[in-house]
Amino acid sequence: MKIEMENIRKSFGSNDVIKDVSFSIQGGEICALLGENGAGKSTLMNILGGVHQMDSGAILVDGKKVSFEIPAQSLEAGIAFIHQELNLINDLPIYENMFLGREIKTKRGSLDLKQMHDKTADMFERMNVDLDPGKMVRDLDSSYKQIVEICRAMMTNASIIIMDEPTTSLTDSEIKRVFKMMETMKEHNVGIIFISHKLNEVMQICNRYLVLRDGNLAAEGNVSEVTTKDLASYMVGYDVRTESLRREREVEEEIGEEVLRVEGLTDQKNFRDINFSIKMGEIVGVTGLLGDGRSELFQAIFGAEKLPSGKIYLNGTEVKIKSTYQALKEGIAYLPRNRKENGIIKDMNIIENASIVTWPMFSKRGVINTDKHWQKFEEQRGSLRLKMGVLTDSITSLSGGNQQKVVLAKWLASNPKILILDNPTQGVDVGAKEDIYDIILKLAEENIAIIVLSSEAQEIIRVCDRALVMYHGVIQGEVQDKMMNEHSIMSLATGGELDLERSGQPL
Amino acid sequence: MKPELENTPPIKEKKTFIEGFKYKWSNDPLFSILIALIIMVILQTLTLGFDYNSVGEWFQSWTSNWINILRNNAGVGIVALGMTFVIMTGGIDLAVGSTLVITGAFAMYLMDTGSAGILGAIGISGVPAIILTIILVIGLGYLLGALIGVTITKGNVPPFIVTLGAMMIFRSVTQHFAQGYNTSVPMEFLQISSFKIGNLMIMPIFYWAVIAAILYYVSKRTTFGRQIIAVGSNERAAKLSGINVNKVKLRVYALMGLLVSIAAIIQVSRIGSMDFSNAGRGMEMDAIAAAVVGGTNMLGGRGFILGTVYGMLIIAVMNNLLNLFGVPPYLREAFKGIIVIVAVLLQRKEKSV
Repeated sequence: MKIEMENIRKSFGSNDVIKDVSFSIQGGEICALLGENGAGKSTLMNILGGVHQMDSGAILVDGKKVSFEIPAQSLEAGIAFIHQELNLINDLPIYENMFLGREIKTKRGSLDLKQMHDKTADMFERMNVDLDPGKMVRDLDSSYKQIVEICRAMMTNASIIIMDEPTTSLTDSEIKRVFKMMETMKEHNVGIIFISHKLNEVMQICNRYLVLRDGNLAAEGNVSEVTTKDLASYMVGYDVRTESLRREREVEEEIGEEVLRVEGLTDQKNFRDINFSIKMGEIVGVTGLLGDGRSELFQAIFGAEKLPSGKIYLNGTEVKIKSTYQALKEGIAYLPRNRKENGIIKDMNIIENASIVTWPMFSKRGVINTDKHWQKFEEQRGSLRLKMGVLTDSITSLSGGNQQKVVLAKWLASNPKILILDNPTQGVDVGAKEDIYDIILKLAEENIAIIVLSSEAQEIIRVCDRALVMYHGVIQGEVQDKMMNEHSIMSLATGGELDLERSGQPL
Repeated sequence: MKPELENTPPIKEKKTFIEGFKYKWSNDPLFSILIALIIMVILQTLTLGFDYNSVGEWFQSWTSNWINILRNNAGVGIVALGMTFVIMTGGIDLAVGSTLVITGAFAMYLMDTGSAGILGAIGISGVPAIILTIILVIGLGYLLGALIGVTITKGNVPPFIVTLGAMMIFRSVTQHFAQGYNTSVPMEFLQISSFKIGNLMIMPIFYWAVIAAILYYVSKRTTFGRQIIAVGSNERAAKLSGINVNKVKLRVYALMGLLVSIAAIIQVSRIGSMDFSNAGRGMEMDAIAAAVVGGTNMLGGRGFILGTVYGMLIIAVMNNLLNLFGVPPYLREAFKGIIVIVAVLLQRKEKSV
């Protein structure tokens, strides 16, 4: 089977995400789809998977024009999309998961468990998978879950499979297992579109590559003809701003006193033996890949999770932070990731969202001091460069970037000493992103200690003084100055060591 | 004084009455509820008829009909206000009817003039006994509510389960310990509800109005009131904003218990006794119905104290209407059911735009 996408265009509002992209893929090849975050990879694949509709262009299956308005049509045509978050039901056995939504039934209308079990076993045999179909999905590790999803896609007779960053949360041996599976599928003449950030993997498993940059097709060709260095430069482009925004520090003493020190912090599940400290006016980045535990770590420090073992010192005195309210009083602020789930409260308006943190601080006998909140917000509004209507408009009337600024405003109103920003530019457009960087730098000048959690190495390099790189719940290493580049960050984030020879020069 | 805003809303252009009505209908959730209430009141007034000798006589009859309606619903009305807060946090309280019975029984045993009287046994009587009773009963209601709240928050058990359990426990315990006793309430205590102002027995209505006014202020202007919305709308975000979610929930259930105990005092002082096996049965459903008709979102995050008052009145006026029309008693619940569903259907329509 051959799939062609011709002159695809797609925009969300005024934001052109895909600008005239054409490519094709056929059975039996593994094609890497590369690009930075926001380059349009997911959008392009979502169009192919029937999740989004293209504005113009055409999709051809074996030369015949088709239209995918819903995911089911795409699936029908033989295209399976394996999302980054796996769609498996943990509480059902593997074989029932394999037939989710397409259950085999007996004549009397009950589930034909035996047949489902046997068919699954057949499929596993064909694909050389060593798994008991009766096992509960809950008991599988991530690589086997990934494999079950692949087999499920095969079960629907998919001839093209889209895999969205399948290896981000896997260990090396698990990755090998998935790659073996992909080779087997290739032999079965299945085409695979492999979305990944890991260039070494691309070199290892893929035949072809496609690079998207800012919604354009930046490069394509055969993997055998390029090096990882070439691919990286195609992805980044030559004109991208990577220089650090951070002013050079003239004297080392300029950095203030230590504000936060953490010793041996462990919660058993998500992070282990964490040690670090941060000084006034410092911007420290914390990065890593999915499953590195950085969000959990800082949510625990913020008192939103169960108290971890180990010690936390604020300004030299040990504290036990048991609730977010206590953290707030101690001067710690935390801007959460996933704004929609954790940040905004959609039943409340802009000013209420912007003042929620400081309600108790500004209140007299429990009565909210509305005037003071309005004043405070008006003071902040200019420096945050907020674009909005009236203060009493619904928070959902704002764009993502402006919503994020409101969430930031609610914390700034509390005058924090330590500001933890978890993915601060998630789902934020480029302009607002720069605004947020500016704000971060300005706050550091006001001697606030800032911790930026981000999965984007670029972001860390641009705003941070130094960065901690986490891998599976431990701090794998720390980078600074010249060592703070994408290569060494990626190397640490994938569980490697700092390569002192190579990391000096940018990739 | 509000600081000057850069972007003050443009001065609204003159709208025709119809346009203004449409705008309010689809943007102000309380407006449609109020319109529904007004229609009900007009219908009721028409049904009562104008078959009187003078306007004064008509007015007197109309007023006394209304005072009856309001007085009969004051208890549930007060409970419904607390229920609104509970539902706004995303919870539910099924135990209100049983809490009513247990606090009511406690009140009666405290001040019984006969042999069972606890306060009488230790030599307190008269007005001090009544004041002490009120304090203790309200304290018990608050405690029981707090107990429910602690179980929900610390035990991490769903509110439905905890209050379902409490509903069975409270009534069962009350019935067991109260069997075989006849208590009699002192005459002075009855004055709490029966005290007449200008020949009208309106004290329960007065309590309801005062509590509604206080809670309206609480919901609009206090930290607690706004935190209820935050917790119900997005608990995770509320927690990550430094709100002590458990404390907010605990206080909401404790407040619920307190309000129920006030309703219990009103009921006991109005009737002079309480039927422990039947009093308060279905009260939780009536309170939920009033809140829902008043625009409270069962999933939490949205609710209006004023809306619940309207909702309670709509249901009450409808009961009165059914009575006037002579609808058979068994069918009346059906109408109540229809009102609740229709009210929510109407609200859905506005929201889905």
